Amino acid sequence: MLYPSQFDVIVIGGGHAGTEAALVGARMGLKTLLLTHNIETLGQMSCNPSIGGIGKGHLVKEVDALGGAMAAATDEAGIQFRILNSSKGPAVRATRAQADRVLYRQAIRRRLENQPNLWLFQQAVDDLILEQDRVVGVVTQLGLRFRARSVVLTAGTFLAGLVHVGQSNYPAGRAGDPPSITLAQRLRELQLPVKRFKTGTPPRIDGRSLDYSVMVEQPGDDPAPAFSFLGSSAQHPRQLPCWITQTNLRTHDIIRGGLDRSPLYTGVIEGVGPRYCPSIEDKIMRFSGKDSHQIFVEPEGLSTHEIYPNGISTSLPFDVQVELVRSIRGFENAHITRPGYAIEYDFFDPLGLKNSLETKAIQGLFFAGQINGTTGYEEAAAQGILAGINAGLSVQGKEAWHPSRDQAYLGVMVDDLVTRGVVEPYRMFTSRAEYRLMLREDNADLRLTEAGRRLGVVDDVRWQSFEEKSEAIAREQERLKSVWVNPKLLPQEDAERVLGKGIEREYSLLDLLRRPDVSYRDLMTLPSAGVGVGDSKVAEQVEIQAKYQGYIARQQEEVARHQHYEAMVLPLGLDYCEVHGLSIEAQQKLNQHKPETLGQAGRISGVTPATISLLLVYLKRSQNMSDHKKIA
Amino acid sequence: MPSTDVIAAIATAPGRGGIGVVRISGEDLRDFSQNLLGKISAPRVATLSYFLAADGEVIDQGIALYFPVPYSYTGQDVLELQGHGGDAVLRRLLGRCLELGARPAEPGEFTRLAFLNDKMDLAQAESVADLIDAATSEAAKTAMRSLRGEFSHAIHQLVDALINLRMLVEATLDFPEEEIDFLEESNALNQLAVINAQLDKVFRQAKQGNLLREGLHIVLIGQPNVGKSSLLNQLAGEEVAIVTPVAGTTRDAIRQHIEIEGVVLHFIDTAGLRDTDDEVEKIGIAHTWSAIHQANVAVLLIDAAKGIAPADLEIIAKLPPDLPLLRIFNKVDLLGQEPRMVAADGIADIYLSAKTGAGIDLLHEHLLRVAGWQTGGEGVFMARARHLSALREAGERLNLAAACEGRVEFFAEELRLAQNALSSITGEFTSDDLLGEIFSRFCIGK
Repeated sequence: MLYPSQFDVIVIGGGHAGTEAALVGARMGLKTLLLTHNIETLGQMSCNPSIGGIGKGHLVKEVDALGGAMAAATDEAGIQFRILNSSKGPAVRATRAQADRVLYRQAIRRRLENQPNLWLFQQAVDDLILEQDRVVGVVTQLGLRFRARSVVLTAGTFLAGLVHVGQSNYPAGRAGDPPSITLAQRLRELQLPVKRFKTGTPPRIDGRSLDYSVMVEQPGDDPAPAFSFLGSSAQHPRQLPCWITQTNLRTHDIIRGGLDRSPLYTGVIEGVGPRYCPSIEDKIMRFSGKDSHQIFVEPEGLSTHEIYPNGISTSLPFDVQVELVRSIRGFENAHITRPGYAIEYDFFDPLGLKNSLETKAIQGLFFAGQINGTTGYEEAAAQGILAGINAGLSVQGKEAWHPSRDQAYLGVMVDDLVTRGVVEPYRMFTSRAEYRLMLREDNADLRLTEAGRRLGVVDDVRWQSFEEKSEAIAREQERLKSVWVNPKLLPQEDAERVLGKGIEREYSLLDLLRRPDVSYRDLMTLPSAGVGVGDSKVAEQVEIQAKYQGYIARQQEEVARHQHYEAMVLPLGLDYCEVHGLSIEAQQKLNQHKPETLGQAGRISGVTPATISLLLVYLKRSQNMSDHKKIA
Repeated sequence: MPSTDVIAAIATAPGRGGIGVVRISGEDLRDFSQNLLGKISAPRVATLSYFLAADGEVIDQGIALYFPVPYSYTGQDVLELQGHGGDAVLRRLLGRCLELGARPAEPGEFTRLAFLNDKMDLAQAESVADLIDAATSEAAKTAMRSLRGEFSHAIHQLVDALINLRMLVEATLDFPEEEIDFLEESNALNQLAVINAQLDKVFRQAKQGNLLREGLHIVLIGQPNVGKSSLLNQLAGEEVAIVTPVAGTTRDAIRQHIEIEGVVLHFIDTAGLRDTDDEVEKIGIAHTWSAIHQANVAVLLIDAAKGIAPADLEIIAKLPPDLPLLRIFNKVDLLGQEPRMVAADGIADIYLSAKTGAGIDLLHEHLLRVAGWQTGGEGVFMARARHLSALREAGERLNLAAACEGRVEFFAEELRLAQNALSSITGEFTSDDLLGEIFSRFCIGK
């Protein structure tokens, strides 16, 4: 049957990408339908029970700055919060939280159910409805037809998913869930470029069977930081520590002994796994010189005894899993509650996507999350919100939006995906961002909230709080610029205490704050400093901006040097064999990638400055020709 | 085009010719002109000007032509400097432009700018594309040529060391939960010092920076009758004119300057070195000795029929011990011998005839090799100028990195920029490449 009402946006999948996409579409005032095979698992954290980390925390804060749910839900569900790299500079500091799976799911579900304009429906999707090269709806397992003007597909690892434990394997979306076989087949028929990746999880363990007394305790930060710009630690539930233990030589012997039955080492698994998150058998084979590997013992939640032993992801047969787990210090009597497994799944080559995450092949069809070859909740959520926004903009008939590489990690990720493609599951790292010093957790709101407001995805509460904060920052910066410290009126002991030594001429407070060893709080204790701001977030921002100013200015120059080309649009239908002077290699590369702008073309590996020159000439020439036609 | 981008290049063909032109293009060249000429020339008027080095010394005197935006070849501000032809002077002038922030123009770049700024009509578009295409493949060839041997080896060592350090720094920033502190384990500052030393070595081996500015200094030893003049005349040959000193520099009476393949050879004549009581002469002799201590190579000219004179041996004994010695046995034609070169123990012997010119090519080649110069097309210089400006930029970044102790994210930023600078020599090195290095070296991840 045809479902009686039509939707603006349909989102398929209720994981981290799907929920952000659905929420943001509805926030834009569009009639949005979220289709999931199981409403109970909306917002499920199917791998490790944590959110954030280096690079990933940055993404979460960016999603938050655009009004997304992940940070706020983590504030309600987090049972341990830490700032990583706290001893290093603000650009590389990142928030990480352990989350209670049940509380997290509830926090997401509550948001979905209470979001105006958003409808939930439980049915697996089997097919897309196409009219020429445009998607106009979806068909579910029961044959229900839903019509919509744009569709966001966030199928995660469910497309043709295949779970491996030892030599046995079975089709599944993730452990306990059915895979999407029909949809995967349909998508393969659409000639979208499909590839296969692999990922895995460790066995879960009953925490009551562990001996924590021989492990190292890893407490959260005190006071615990909040994740969302609107959050506070008062929202946090009871906090728990994590624990650290190690594998040993005996563990490694057991693993080596089981390799002849490992799907990874007997060639059964063909998908490519991530190098930075290897299975324990991979770690031991590739780094045979290492006698021990760390294991983080992470609680799954407040209402369960299950723990997640982070670091021993494995697809070895179950009997080997039991033996290897029990060889670990503190795990001697461990009871495994769920076996570890590896899963292979279909993903689509992101080179087939535009910067908006719309597929180049099918208009109105957007992809977000693991289906694009990424890994991680945070990467998924960030793509989800972007795909949702652009699905919405496309319904509204507006131009697509995406942040640039100097504006957000989200911009870095999307550009990396659609420009360079992926050879292994893509995860965010700060080293991927050339403008790392500008892309900090602390200024995610300053980077994105205004854009979010323009797009209609930031509500009044957030906007008001943002405006207050940014005005307070500007006001305080002006004040620091205009207050001068006179060396004659500065008592020697104050100078030494705050500045390390006396000053030889007059300085503004802002000049003094730029010095590496001068803190804002100390500076405000100088007799002539006046009254500083009370809000620690504002003070922090004023201080960081002062200290980073020189570097930021330089990075901005670098951005400006490249900006010119970013604005030069290359036609998607351009056949590069027609461009005069291009080498065969350049023609092939460009035809494969179909870059959207000249700037993007320049980032394709193997595209030289000479190629860019030739493209410039080509663009200019076509422009001149069309000008001529107009005149004629 | 970004407003800060200024490009410069030698616009005339290399080698012969009485006049050489350096062309500069940028959005706004007024500051540039002020620094280089000490003034801003009147628009589109040929103005006699001094071309000034950083210290105010005169590089050359010639005609400056200033074409302000938009009435110029490229559609930007263009400055054309017409100087005295010799390649060495032109290179020094171009070197000065680079020092003032210009970068060497890409192949065909002036023409490309002209086209993009509507200074050419549609019909010319295809030829611009052809030009870029041709110039690029030529440039690639010359870049390859100029990157052989020790220079290339040293650069690759340098880049490898830099990648290794960056790998440790980035791993420290991106993987704080690993068991080891990558940076603490590896003594980053020490590694940086090693890289800096490596960079110095590259400069030394290339010898280019020095050569471009100063040429090759050669101590010429030989008795009056062995044929020095005819040797110098043969060397200069038809190649180029003898370089004359320009206004503002002092003529050094005991030197001769010859240019081959764009490298200036300064011959320091030792004929005047003898015991004397004349005070003025004594000062001159002291000057000559100090010049000898700065020299790159000593050339001993010998009459092949007579052998080495005792006076020559006295001078050789006083030469700096590490100065390479080249012995030339002249007048082989009189002995009926063939020209040849025999090299052993750091001493090269060349047998030639300055009168007939037989064997001069051997000397020619050998002197350039001593200078660290590989012969090749005109593009070699531009390719190398690019390398040098990249190395200089990288060096500056490394020094800034050294000042970032304890602030790892700034340290990392300077290293990133150092590597960016080097990518014009070594090709692109992406963050993915870097992560690949990290993952292959360290077992990372939960």
